[in-house]
Amino acid sequence: METAITVVLFVLLLATAIILGRQRNLFAASMLTGIFSLVSAGLFTVMEAVDVAFTEAAVGAGISTVLMLATLSLTEDVEAREKKISWPALAVVVLTGGALIYGTLDMPNFGDPHAVVHGEIARYYIDRSWDEIGLPNMVTSILASYRGSDTFGELGVVFVAGTSVLLLLGGRRSELPASGESPGHERPSSRPPGKRHAHVREMPVVRTVAKVMLPYIVLFAFYVQAHGDFGPGGGFQAGVILATAFILFGLVFGPQELVRHVPPERLERIMAVGLMIYGGVGVVAMLLGGQFLAYGVFTPSHPSHGHHYGIFMVELGVGITVSAVMIIIYATFATRRPSLAPQVVLDAEDRCETEVSADDVPLVPEERALRSGADLLAEGAAGTDAASEVPS
Amino acid sequence: MTLTAAVMSFAAVAILVTMVMALFRAARGPTTYDRILALNLFGTQTVLLIAVTGFLYERPEWMDLAMVYGLCNFVGVLAVLRFSKYGSFMEDP
Repeated sequence: METAITVVLFVLLLATAIILGRQRNLFAASMLTGIFSLVSAGLFTVMEAVDVAFTEAAVGAGISTVLMLATLSLTEDVEAREKKISWPALAVVVLTGGALIYGTLDMPNFGDPHAVVHGEIARYYIDRSWDEIGLPNMVTSILASYRGSDTFGELGVVFVAGTSVLLLLGGRRSELPASGESPGHERPSSRPPGKRHAHVREMPVVRTVAKVMLPYIVLFAFYVQAHGDFGPGGGFQAGVILATAFILFGLVFGPQELVRHVPPERLERIMAVGLMIYGGVGVVAMLLGGQFLAYGVFTPSHPSHGHHYGIFMVELGVGITVSAVMIIIYATFATRRPSLAPQVVLDAEDRCETEVSADDVPLVPEERALRSGADLLAEGAAGTDAASEVPS
Repeated sequence: MTLTAAVMSFAAVAILVTMVMALFRAARGPTTYDRILALNLFGTQTVLLIAVTGFLYERPEWMDLAMVYGLCNFVGVLAVLRFSKYGSFMEDP
């Protein structure tokens, strides 16, 4: 029965991937990625990798769908059709794919009992983690204590992701609209313009349901945060679920309202605080004479108690940073003016065409001297105003 | 195999068949709302599958997981609906 379920889920996963690859409508594709992550999370559950399934469910099914849609709202939702094949790109893709497939040949077979991970290391964790750390959920022991430095690195990656989004998109955050005046959104779009000015207040059912659900989502996030030592869960999952509550608020009451209550400037600091708590626990362990992130030194008489304290603090840091980063990414994408993105694309196309025409079209010598390539580049890069004046 | 386990196995098979049909609908469309409904249905089926397999494998703590699925699926579908109606997440009063 278990094998049958696993095989069916794998076939579903493959089918979803093929359908996803052939889909040109990006709105449909983002929904299919939601299905893909639901299938893979179900697969993880059936294979008893519960913590991974937890993360996949929280990130894949909820947040990544929202973030993909937020990206689509800034661009077009139909994939551009490339007429000609770019041979260098194809070669790079084939080479990379070939190298990756060649690399998998060295990996042990699925479920191979002689694989390295099933050898000494797994045996060590299974035999010793209860005595040394004493947590019922061994995954949390490994994640936060034995491989604590790895997790610190992962948290650093999350932090860098949030920082990058802020650096790339955060600067041109649109202002809060003044009362009774809507910011002019001139965007070439297939949708009727009047529809976008409708307000979410027209949806009383959604508002009421969201209001009822929000406190329970937050409570559930705290439960997952605190219960990670005993069952599936932990800082990553709790952080994402907490962020889901804020994103739900943003979806129902509007991102401006979310930004008004949770200013991104404050989230930026909170984002760093979580990472500092994690690193600080490690540094404190070093100051007490131990190694970085070796929590046993906190309570020398009972090293396992020290591990419990250390793991709790570290998971807290993870939860804080992850939730802040997720909220900030959503808020940054959702409050950005949709009108900017297509103009930037137009800008780049125009620049290419004008550069070509400057070389081809014979100009009067003085004019040619004036309109040097550098000028054109500067004009093209000058921003959105210049782009509309350049003939296409 | 006890009677309950047999019933649960049958339920698991039925859920998997429904998942295949939902995936077919999500792939074919033809309208956006077919796809949204398929996504929502797929999420519900995943919640049920985890609950049923958790019972089959005698792992009651998987219900936590099923709750997260239900929650995230709700938020995901809400985002999809909002996007399909307004085309953006901006609030335009």
